[in-house]
Amino acid sequence: MLKVERLYKSFDGFVAVSGAELTVEQGQLVAVIGPNGAGKTTLFNLITGMLKADRGRVVFNGEDISKLPPHEVCRKGISRSFQIANIFHRLTVFKNVQVAVLSQQGKSGNLFRPAHRMAVHETNTILESVGLLEKADDLAGSLSHGDHRILEIAIALGNQPRMLILDEPTAGMSPDETAATMALIRRLAESQGLTILFCEHDMDVVFNTAQSIMVMHYGKTIIQAKPEEVRANKDVQDAYLGGEGDA
Amino acid sequence: MQKSTLNPNVLWPWTLILVLLIFLPFIIPRFYTYILAVIFVTALLAMSLNMVVGHGGLFQFHHAVFYGVGAYAFALMLMKTAMPMWVCFTVSPFIAAAAGFLIGWFCVRLANLYFAMLQISLGSLIWAIAFRWYDLTHGDDGLHGVPIPDWISSTSGAYYFILFFLVLCLIAMYIIYHSPFGTTMQAIRDNPARCSAVGINVRRHQLTAIVIATFFAGVAGVLFVVLEHSVFPDLLFWVLSLEIFIMCLLGGWFTFAGPILGAAVTVALRTFVGIYTEYWTLILGILLILLIFFLPEGVMGLFQRKLRNRRYEEGAPGKRRHAQG
Amino acid sequence: MTDLGALGSQFFVGLSRAMILFVVCSGLSFVLGVLRVPNIAHGSLYMIGAFSAYSITKLVAGPAGFWLALILAPFVVALVSLVAERALFCHLYQREHLMLLLFTFALSLILGDLVKIIWGAEYKSIMAPEVFNGSVSLLGASIPRYNFFLLIVGPLVAVGLWFFTNKTKMGKIARAAAVDREMVGAVGINVSWVFAFAFVLGCFLAGLGGALVAPTVSITLGMDHNLIIEAFLIVTIGGLGNMWGAMVGSLIFGLSQAFGVLFWPQFAIVFPYMAVVIVLLWRPTGMLKSVW
Repeated sequence: MLKVERLYKSFDGFVAVSGAELTVEQGQLVAVIGPNGAGKTTLFNLITGMLKADRGRVVFNGEDISKLPPHEVCRKGISRSFQIANIFHRLTVFKNVQVAVLSQQGKSGNLFRPAHRMAVHETNTILESVGLLEKADDLAGSLSHGDHRILEIAIALGNQPRMLILDEPTAGMSPDETAATMALIRRLAESQGLTILFCEHDMDVVFNTAQSIMVMHYGKTIIQAKPEEVRANKDVQDAYLGGEGDA
Repeated sequence: MQKSTLNPNVLWPWTLILVLLIFLPFIIPRFYTYILAVIFVTALLAMSLNMVVGHGGLFQFHHAVFYGVGAYAFALMLMKTAMPMWVCFTVSPFIAAAAGFLIGWFCVRLANLYFAMLQISLGSLIWAIAFRWYDLTHGDDGLHGVPIPDWISSTSGAYYFILFFLVLCLIAMYIIYHSPFGTTMQAIRDNPARCSAVGINVRRHQLTAIVIATFFAGVAGVLFVVLEHSVFPDLLFWVLSLEIFIMCLLGGWFTFAGPILGAAVTVALRTFVGIYTEYWTLILGILLILLIFFLPEGVMGLFQRKLRNRRYEEGAPGKRRHAQG
Repeated sequence: MTDLGALGSQFFVGLSRAMILFVVCSGLSFVLGVLRVPNIAHGSLYMIGAFSAYSITKLVAGPAGFWLALILAPFVVALVSLVAERALFCHLYQREHLMLLLFTFALSLILGDLVKIIWGAEYKSIMAPEVFNGSVSLLGASIPRYNFFLLIVGPLVAVGLWFFTNKTKMGKIARAAAVDREMVGAVGINVSWVFAFAFVLGCFLAGLGGALVAPTVSITLGMDHNLIIEAFLIVTIGGLGNMWGAMVGSLIFGLSQAFGVLFWPQFAIVFPYMAVVIVLLWRPTGMLKSVW
């Protein structure tokens, strides 16, 4: 479904991504791991068009999307959440998700119809599926940290994506919240047949959840394989699991 | 239950105010009628600015230019052409909007302060032309004695004319504010990067917002001419731009009607403080500093927060209004 | 109609105008670089510089008065800015950017009226001392001596400022604060005082610009309004916070205005704005690298 081919990106001489490779099949849950600064977030930014790659291709459903601006990548069916909570903090929780739904329905430019009657059902369905319906009328800025992260995911779902990219969805969460969030992600993958690509620091979470794991180190892809194979791989142990103790 | 756009609870105080405003000219002296009309024009201008600043998060630092363009277009068309008044009246705001499109088209490529700077320089360009093209605009002297039709040339005639179009514009703005476009603009204000990640073409939205806002600024400019029968280059000077910025701040950026209040307070202050002292900008400056320190959300913003907190504490029935699809 | 001599002398007129603009704008740019605030009150401080230069020449007659004004007027302005910074502005550093900006606007409104209260609304003027009478002939063009003096002062200020930011400890700290304020705070430097210092230094330069311009123009209320927009645009096209950018921007602005006078006097003021628009469309973040 998604194929990243030999992607390169550097900033002012600093090479952030150099030769990343990634394959995501329809319906899969794929994790990207790697030490801090390995280029995971940059890779996600490149896939979603927030950054332009120096070289390489991003192919989604047979189409090269590496030159498209973010809003067009989104319209192809790729939706993402961000590592730092990236929400509309002065709007209500309901509107946060509604904005995405309206955009997906192509109604963002409508000037004359009252918005509060539009996309209500879809928005509420999403809020219900992530468990934020109770807080629909709260200002997004007043939510707890954990709820911010959930709202992130809810906004990304608002686009009815075919593929969801989650950048450290459980960053800063307590163990309980982490477990609940991962359960939510698995549930979404199963119930809606979503393809999910995510990166994560917590190795237990990754090896319990992902069906395929891609390991990045200094911007390069070391391996992409099933969890058992990744665990057994010598290079990975040297570069990452054994070495820097992040796991 | 769904909240209706025209909720009776919201509607009746506005209706009351409107009825009051319709009857006021019969009982108050002509000077006060005039001041009220000035407030209407300024309020419309401030509201139009707030569409892009408070609700759109754009650094629209030279909004007065579009007000001036609307005013000059209207005055020049009335004085130099034989077009009927209604044609001039309709065309002028579109000229302001065209200027808005032109300047906005360049500006939306840049962000924040650079946006502001490019707009100031492009705006100053227009100001410099109005200031220097003596043959057309009479430069610093401005144009006086613009031939306004008799039926609206009296103070009370102008008052009702302006009030009518103010109400019309406010209704249009209210509808836009609550439309998907308005909601999306508010989302862009809070987080443009996130908006493009959910598939919104941010620049196109911002440009559209600028065109709409400058159209309304143009209407305000036209109404100014109807009231004053004259135009001068100060209408497009940057000091006025910052003054209306303050009105928005004073009333409350993130509220709908805040700028009306801000405009009313500022115009009233200028008028009545101006009677006692010539140092009225000193007072404005001090007022602004007090605002920045103690009331950064503006007067209406404060009210709204208080209201929200109270509803929050009571767990009021309004809270779950989106629950049913 | 435009012979070479007129072109040459107009070139030097533009150049000397650019030097005054540079002195003012380098201060604005410095504040912008360190505090990240476009100081709208900068124009008012420039005006105060000019008015206090006038008062000093009234108190002390003769050439001594002029030189004294040139030295003291910037300090008067620095004092005003120090009071405003310590009393009010420093409490706002944690707030939103827009609030800082609006504060400087409020300050400019207040200072503008204070000038009106202290000096009144009439035009003032000072005479440059007799040393500056007559003109110097340079490359076939004759330039008034005072303009020639400005051509020397401008680069001197530039070199001094460069020396300060690159060679002195205080300057290096200020520069580091411009790039990364958390880091400067983390190594135990009181960032608030660094900001105060940068603000006052920037305003000092505004005052110096005001004192320098005083003999060449009529000193009047409203001179702040015209200047501040020009200064903002110069700083923007140069690259925010970049001192050499302020120099480049001043040259573009001063020269395009001077040549505009030659080619189309009526619309001379349109030329610099045009130049700014062209630069910004060509390089949206300014000619040189911005420190932001």
